[in-house]
Amino acid sequence: MTDLIPLSTCLVLIPALPLVAAIVVAVLGARLLKERSHYVVVGAFAGSFLLSCLLLLHLNANQAGNADGGTERSAGFAQVVTLWTWAHVDDAYEFESTDPATMADAGPHDFDIRIALRADALTGMMLAMVTFVSTLVAIFAAGYMHGDRGYWRFFSYVALFVFSMTMLVSVTNFVLLFVFWEAVGVCSYLLIGFWYEKPAAAAAGMKAFLVNRVGDFGFALALFLIWSTYGTLNFHDTLADGSPAPIALDAAVSPADGPAATVTDGVVRGVLGVRRITANDYVGGQVALMICLLLLLGACGKSAQFPLHVWLPDAMEGPTPVSALIHAATMVTAGVYMVARCTPLFMASPEAQLVVACVGGFTALLAGLIAMTQFDLKRVLAYSTVSQLGYMFMALGAGTFTGITAGMFHLFTHAFFKALLFLGAGSVMHAMGNVIDMRQFGGLRKRLPITHWTFFLGCLALAGVPPLAGFWSKDTIVAAVHERAHELEHEAAHRHEVEPSRPGGDHGRPAEDQGGGGAIRHFAGHSHAADGEPSLVPVALIAAPAAGGHSVLESLSTEQLHRYAGIYQLLYYVAMVTAFLTAFYTFRAFYLTFYGEERIPPEAEGHAHESPPVMWVPLAILAFCAVFAGLAFDRTYLRVDATHLFAEFLANAPSLAAGAVTTTKVPYEFHLMVAGLSSAIALSALLIATYLYLGGRREILWLKSIFDFELIAGNLDVEAVAGWSRVGWIAAIHRQARAAHLGWLTSLVGNLFLMAVLVLTTPFLLGRTLSPYNLSQRKFYLDEIYFLVIILPMRALGAVCFVVDRWVVDGTVNAIGRIPPRFGALMRPLQLGLVQFYALAMVLAMLVLVAAKFIWAAG
Amino acid sequence: MFVDAETIRLLWPEIILIAMASWIYIAGAFQPHRVWWTCFSLAVYGVVAYVLLGTESTMWSAETALVGISGPLRIDFLGFILRCFAVLVGILFTLIGARGSSRQLTSEFLATVMLLVAGLMLVARANDMVLLFVSLEMISIPTYVLLYLGRRDRANSEATIKYFFLSILSSGLFLYGLSFLYGIAGTTTLVGMMGQESVQAAAAGFVQEGGELYQAMAPIALVLLMAGLGFKIAAVPFHFYAPDVYQGCSNANAGLLAVAPKIAGVVAILRLLVVAMPWAADIGWQLAIVLAVLTMTIGNVCALWQTNLRRLMAYSSIAHAGYMLIGISVAFAFHEGTSASGGIGATLFYLLVYACASLGTFAVLVALGSKESEVSGLNELAGLAGQRPALAAALAVFMFSLAGIPPLAGFWGKLTLFSSAVNTATATADNASFAAWFTLLAVAGALNAAIAAAYYLRVVAKMYFRPAQGDLPANGGLGAQAAVVVCVVLVLGLGLFPRIAVQVTHLAEAAVAPVDPGSLSAAAAPLPRLAGDVQGSDDASWDR
Repeated sequence: MTDLIPLSTCLVLIPALPLVAAIVVAVLGARLLKERSHYVVVGAFAGSFLLSCLLLLHLNANQAGNADGGTERSAGFAQVVTLWTWAHVDDAYEFESTDPATMADAGPHDFDIRIALRADALTGMMLAMVTFVSTLVAIFAAGYMHGDRGYWRFFSYVALFVFSMTMLVSVTNFVLLFVFWEAVGVCSYLLIGFWYEKPAAAAAGMKAFLVNRVGDFGFALALFLIWSTYGTLNFHDTLADGSPAPIALDAAVSPADGPAATVTDGVVRGVLGVRRITANDYVGGQVALMICLLLLLGACGKSAQFPLHVWLPDAMEGPTPVSALIHAATMVTAGVYMVARCTPLFMASPEAQLVVACVGGFTALLAGLIAMTQFDLKRVLAYSTVSQLGYMFMALGAGTFTGITAGMFHLFTHAFFKALLFLGAGSVMHAMGNVIDMRQFGGLRKRLPITHWTFFLGCLALAGVPPLAGFWSKDTIVAAVHERAHELEHEAAHRHEVEPSRPGGDHGRPAEDQGGGGAIRHFAGHSHAADGEPSLVPVALIAAPAAGGHSVLESLSTEQLHRYAGIYQLLYYVAMVTAFLTAFYTFRAFYLTFYGEERIPPEAEGHAHESPPVMWVPLAILAFCAVFAGLAFDRTYLRVDATHLFAEFLANAPSLAAGAVTTTKVPYEFHLMVAGLSSAIALSALLIATYLYLGGRREILWLKSIFDFELIAGNLDVEAVAGWSRVGWIAAIHRQARAAHLGWLTSLVGNLFLMAVLVLTTPFLLGRTLSPYNLSQRKFYLDEIYFLVIILPMRALGAVCFVVDRWVVDGTVNAIGRIPPRFGALMRPLQLGLVQFYALAMVLAMLVLVAAKFIWAAG
Repeated sequence: MFVDAETIRLLWPEIILIAMASWIYIAGAFQPHRVWWTCFSLAVYGVVAYVLLGTESTMWSAETALVGISGPLRIDFLGFILRCFAVLVGILFTLIGARGSSRQLTSEFLATVMLLVAGLMLVARANDMVLLFVSLEMISIPTYVLLYLGRRDRANSEATIKYFFLSILSSGLFLYGLSFLYGIAGTTTLVGMMGQESVQAAAAGFVQEGGELYQAMAPIALVLLMAGLGFKIAAVPFHFYAPDVYQGCSNANAGLLAVAPKIAGVVAILRLLVVAMPWAADIGWQLAIVLAVLTMTIGNVCALWQTNLRRLMAYSSIAHAGYMLIGISVAFAFHEGTSASGGIGATLFYLLVYACASLGTFAVLVALGSKESEVSGLNELAGLAGQRPALAAALAVFMFSLAGIPPLAGFWGKLTLFSSAVNTATATADNASFAAWFTLLAVAGALNAAIAAAYYLRVVAKMYFRPAQGDLPANGGLGAQAAVVVCVVLVLGLGLFPRIAVQVTHLAEAAVAPVDPGSLSAAAAPLPRLAGDVQGSDDASWDR
């Protein structure tokens, strides 16, 4: 089977099929295909998915061959397929370097951008995931979008979207990555604003696009910085003529030769090329930090991380299959993929990794809090996506091999259950006549049995209930963050012990660690490999070269280590809290939708029934995946043969197969303590949600009333106090007092009360606005803050610019524009129409010219 | 002047044209048939083109851009491409104009055009003052007849008479200038070759030995000649006739006036003033710059006011003469020791580009009108895009090209011209006066290009954004439509693939490059140095 279609053909065909489908549907859709448009697209997606599976087989075979080949320094497997040259400038850049890491690259560099695709484990996994989910979403959409006026347009956009995404994960150059990064943005703009007659949809499309621009700006700056730091933008190593260099590791790298030997026979080392990764020649310090933070800004835009997360919930205005596609499979994973792909760059800067983790942790918590009180089913899911992406960033920020693979694993499982949940929401919406406000419907489990059960499984997976997919991936993330904190602490403690003999004195220590079984997980961060004792590292396939081993943490001082460890520990707690929130809001939405008394909104108009098979079959398939994806790949729970198939597979991607990240590789282990804790938390949240929301819905009001201080606020109402004068006994006292000529006294007392109340209510009003419930419900007023801080000043600036442009610039231009006609008007009277005058003018002019010459010559 | 068999052989195309013209004059009187004579003259042009290409197309290369001199003729690449172009112009005019004239006069019209084309072809290779003058008159006199044939009304008669008188005056001035030139040089040969003593005197010797006489007479000769030829290209201040005459005559004749005399005038200036009078270059470049700036500016600013299409095009043609004078001034400056060449090539390229677009414009106007009613007001074009989309699109292409908007031919024309001026300015940075003048020239050119866009785009806007005011007859005939197609193809082709044309014009420049006095005395094989110039003179920006 794998011999039938070679790897390169697979790689090219996977994006090509959706592209062809997009073009075919765009050209023929309006006239010919119409309601049959989805056949083309679904067929193309399914073909791409099959080819992706084939690609995975190829990769597996090649990687196995690589491992069996006996080369101990396996640096993973990647194959680059070059299609054509897109841009080429000879000697575009004279690269000068003072940094030892990039000294070997000095010299003239061509600016050479080729349309080249690259197959490695990371790409293969992303391709399989993207095409799989896309296929199911397209099938679902065939039912969901049935009867829409823009049916073919929708499928054309979707196909273009999938093309962009598959290209994004398979290109092997930062410029092309950026190109398809933008292409994905454009497609999302088109799809979110698909119902462009709806003002909210058009605005949401624009918002998504503009917010992404901010991130893209950072990404572009990162590219410039990478170009000026490394002198190339290719991921892969290239030969001098620009063609991809073969991964001939034996010839390329030998630790003994030192860094200079890595550049042999005119090989230009790519930024993420095998040669550079193996030698770990990455610039550190401020430059690395800057590159990583700018990349992170770009990733924040695409992957909806704070502070650029605001577009994603609004993007719910698009058709629901689009939401599923964007939130589960395609767009939002781009940022995570990019950060994972750039792991070697991030490894060079622990500070940046810390920032990544913090951004992820904060976003996870924030979005989880907001999701708790939303009434729009899709918005709950949207914030949940933001929150889960936060988890992934947290994992990537942990900066260990386990962390990064855990992040990717969560991306993988999340794709299934989040797509499932969105499509389930779509099914609900379909039945409810496009109503999605959970206050308007309820108790749908009888009407939509299949949706109910699949949604339930999706909720369990998202909540992280064992043994569903979400549990395994989330657990690995939490464990990885915990590990990281622990490791940093250990490193600090270790330093303290060996302080007198540093540097280079950390030789004895690892051998002691080896004795304790539990200590092996703390091995990361030490330079075992430098000892020349590979036997100390039972699972690490790679002997990292000397340069790579301990550079990562060595740049940090002991105080920093302590501080970082503290932060990671904090993030660990954040992850736990978020796990609680996740389970809570998931089941809140679940109960509100499917339980309680049955209520159908009037818009449903009696078609509140289960969706057709074309819609529920994808749900069932996704539900199956959501249940078993974790069990299938994460084998750490097995006593014997404890391994993590997913991580093992990803470990062959060059970005993860060599370099600094490999030194953080530890044996796969199932952390019973972490797993137990997080399961307990998830279950408790589930139970609380069950208690609060199963049955009636008064609890919502109950919660709200607590958070709104209703009891206190009710008695501190200004109007109520003002109304006291009408209360019987007070009025009576007042009357009596007036009779005794003491009316001024009671009036004074009443007014004093009123003033006191006025003074007292102000903080309460503020408190009500800023009560936890309102903060959550109003998304922490972030949209409003952005409006005040960014949009309003921008509009003011725009108004000023408009006035300046209208009156000053245009005025000047118009004034200048009036000069030539004026000048022309001066000449017009000369056209007398008299031939005598013309002749005279000619002769006179000639005489003047001659005379001028002589006068000039004389003068 | 000794004429030998060799010279006659070289003149076959012209001889065929003149003979056939005479035949048409005679036979047309007996058989007045429009279609028949149109086809006949097209066939004649075909034969001429065949003869021309058959005998000469293979003899040119970078090494043999200049083959030699035969009697009063100069056999070089410049002459060749201009002769080819003249035949093309003849074909286009036959197509455009045949429908316009009355049935009885068709044969006269066609034969006169044929004579005019023969005149153009002779100008293209004249290397003798007398032949140059005669061939210029061979353009002027048929033009008088053609103008008169165009229409029979007061306006046309007035225009014809105006053109006649002023043309005669300019010919007189030109002749006067030639007499001065003869007095200075003592020969009627323009540029000679090895072994001819008189030529040496004309071309080189005088500069070294002339002294006071040259000082006094050179400016007079130059200005007189420039006045005569400036009339032909409608350069300010010899332009006054143009708006009145264009407006008065028919569309087809206006097109003729805009193209034929301009080609002849530019070629004559290049041959007579730039190449043959290198010793007058120090006055020449100043004169050319002054005229260029004046011509461009006055042409453009006056065009802004026009509502009559032919008048508009008259000012447009004046403005374009100004642009061409930029190239001529650069070519003059080359003699003054600036190392930047490219002026002649740029001028020639611009000439081709201008001629195509301008001819195309008038062809569209002819196609839109009919024999009874001609299109003349700008307002008549309103809403044309809806009624005649193809013709409107063609006219838009010509307008954009004339305005110099990429990627059309006009853009490359202006680019080569302005960059030649800028190159001169930068190449002569050590000479402050040169640099300042040529920078000024380039800036003036760019400003004028901006001003010009206003009235060209107004035409386009009229066609595309204004409601229609009434139906245009659009009965100009198949011929005019065919001419429109040819011109559109040329403008688009030159715009999209300018490199070939630019290389051709640079080769032509190499062919007319001044003869080095040193190589004159050395009886060497055909000018090896010229070959070197060809390579060197290629504008650097085109090599990439």
